Amino acid sequence: MASESNVPTEREPVRGDATGSGAGDEILKVHRLMKVYRSAETPAVDGIDFVVRRGEIFGLLGPNGAGKTTVISILCTLLRPTSGSVTLCSQDTQRSPARLRSLFGLAPQEIALYPSLTARENLHYFGSLYGLSGRVLRNRIEECLALVGLSDRGGTRIDTFSGGMKRRANLAAAILHSPRVLFLDEPTVGVDAQSRNLILDNLQALRDDGATIVYTTHYMEEAENLCDRVAVMDCGKIVAEGSPRSLVAAMDGCANLEETFLRLTGRHLRD
Amino acid sequence: MRTLVATIRKELLELRRDRAGVLVLLVMPMALVLIVSLVQDNVMRATGETPIRVLLVDQDNGFLGRAIEKHLRLDGGLELIRKRGDREISEEAARKAVVDGEYRFCILIAPGAGAALREQVRRRAVESFVPASNPAKREAPATVPGLILHFDPAVQGAFRTAVVNSLQRVLLGIELREKGAALSDTIERKMRQGIAGGIPLPPGGDAANQPPPMRFELDTEPVLKLAEAPDSGGRSPRRPTAAQQNVPAWALFGMFFIVVPVSGALIRERQSGTFRRLMTMPISLAGLLAGKVVAYVLVCTAQFVLMVAIGAFALPLLGTSGLVVGPEAPTVAVIALAASMAATGYGIMIGVLARSYEQASVFGAVSIVIAAALGGVMIPVYVMPRSMQAVSVISPLAWGLNAFQDVLVREGTLRTVCPNLARLTLFSLATLSVAWWSLRRSRSGE
Repeated sequence: MASESNVPTEREPVRGDATGSGAGDEILKVHRLMKVYRSAETPAVDGIDFVVRRGEIFGLLGPNGAGKTTVISILCTLLRPTSGSVTLCSQDTQRSPARLRSLFGLAPQEIALYPSLTARENLHYFGSLYGLSGRVLRNRIEECLALVGLSDRGGTRIDTFSGGMKRRANLAAAILHSPRVLFLDEPTVGVDAQSRNLILDNLQALRDDGATIVYTTHYMEEAENLCDRVAVMDCGKIVAEGSPRSLVAAMDGCANLEETFLRLTGRHLRD
Repeated sequence: MRTLVATIRKELLELRRDRAGVLVLLVMPMALVLIVSLVQDNVMRATGETPIRVLLVDQDNGFLGRAIEKHLRLDGGLELIRKRGDREISEEAARKAVVDGEYRFCILIAPGAGAALREQVRRRAVESFVPASNPAKREAPATVPGLILHFDPAVQGAFRTAVVNSLQRVLLGIELREKGAALSDTIERKMRQGIAGGIPLPPGGDAANQPPPMRFELDTEPVLKLAEAPDSGGRSPRRPTAAQQNVPAWALFGMFFIVVPVSGALIRERQSGTFRRLMTMPISLAGLLAGKVVAYVLVCTAQFVLMVAIGAFALPLLGTSGLVVGPEAPTVAVIALAASMAATGYGIMIGVLARSYEQASVFGAVSIVIAAALGGVMIPVYVMPRSMQAVSVISPLAWGLNAFQDVLVREGTLRTVCPNLARLTLFSLATLSVAWWSLRRSRSGE
């Protein structure tokens, strides 16, 4: 058991047990990644390293402004890092971003769907852009709608959906093309317990089918139950990394991941 | 290609779902064309295209009133109204009708004005034979008061000037004829007086050798006529009607307003996160932009077809001249296509560069109004100050309008409009390139 002195310093993040269920070879490798926004005084991401293994659910946790979304944006080729590298499926994302884009899917924090189109029409559009067509596309749309529990609402406009339904449709759009890596930026924010439960079940099912998932969340209980490994970020750095159980165990007097998280990142507000 | 087709389909689907938006996109420009053409038609009527209705109150009831009426009728510029119902209009009623704005102006001929004119002309004719060395017998020249014009205060300067000039011309003709008649009478009388006073007649002095009666009558018809030639190119252009001028001008204006929905759609995509998703997908930016261009060019084309239909078929039903496209319809279609592409390209550029919907909609709309004003949509470029005329050449609406007028008014061809088509095409390529470059930068995280 770690004592209070185990609270990480700049040089030494807490390292827990690296193993997790279904962990395989490295599919995503982040090396000394740094991002400094123009006119910013401090880096948004400050030289972080981590790896994600094939078939793993990897959680990026952290308070607001910790740098999670910046990391996801860099991993998705939407942002160019100031320094460092990201290797996805053995390819450098900065060198060949176009080639890598069909290998991953993204469910952004926002509901990235066209509100005036139906769920099916949205999926048809995004599926077409991924190169799917004809019967393959139609079958895949129905599979994804079934997976997120929207089979009977596929013909309904997105703007009439509840928050939970929109989140589920958002997830369906990200998995249409069966990506090898799935990036999810707070996929369960603002939804009811039923929808959250369904989304988490879906993510486990995807993992069981061989998908690798990197996701950010503020819900520690969710991360504790779902993730094989997590990295806790604060002020652009990784302050702890390992399986949720091992991180909890490493913190003296912490009963769960939420307490561990608060111990690691402090209780002061991050506005 | 798949990106292009999928994006066209998606954009059209989105537009179809937004029925109110499409209705605004199609109906508002149609209403604009209809209303502006009708309004402008009235302006053209009031500025010489058709006779202006004028009240005439003739209290003289003599030759002067009849002569004025005759000449104005021949002139064709003014239509005289003497009666309301069966009754002659009184001075008071005429003034009220003008003040109330019912008529733009009235001509009042005071009692005795005709007689006073003749007396004054006769006196001047007589005095013209009085030697200059005998100034005591010459009276100071006097004018005949008696013709008064009442204007509606709302009538603008150019219109007043046109009416006054037209009346002056008529009065000058009447006066000239009266002077001619008076002069011939005076000369004849002088000659007879000279003969009676002892000037020897030629040999065989019988009645046949009396001085012949003089007929010094002056016709008001000009000897030198100013004819209006077709044009220097030998073509015979159509008389520009309100529809020929306004339908293409306001159709262009309406088409360029596609900038607001195009940029708005892009901003919404960016704000909703869909654009973020699109940027992580294996698609080409060029294909994505091309899909949007094609979809919105189709909307613009539909707008244009409807506005032309309004001009050609609805305007004549409302009593004004309709739009005549003529044999160069394919050229008109090509101009409309080039203008649509320019408008869509501009909208996409604004949608990519603007940071908020408010920024895009206000800047987009105001910049189109400015470009329309500079381009001669609202007032013709040739009446603008020189500095503004110089600036107007940078307005895409000026290029489009010039091209349309070349074909619809000046009877130009595809060849004639090529320079303006090239400008519109380059403008759309330039704006789309800026949008593409900006998106590319943002996609690569720069």
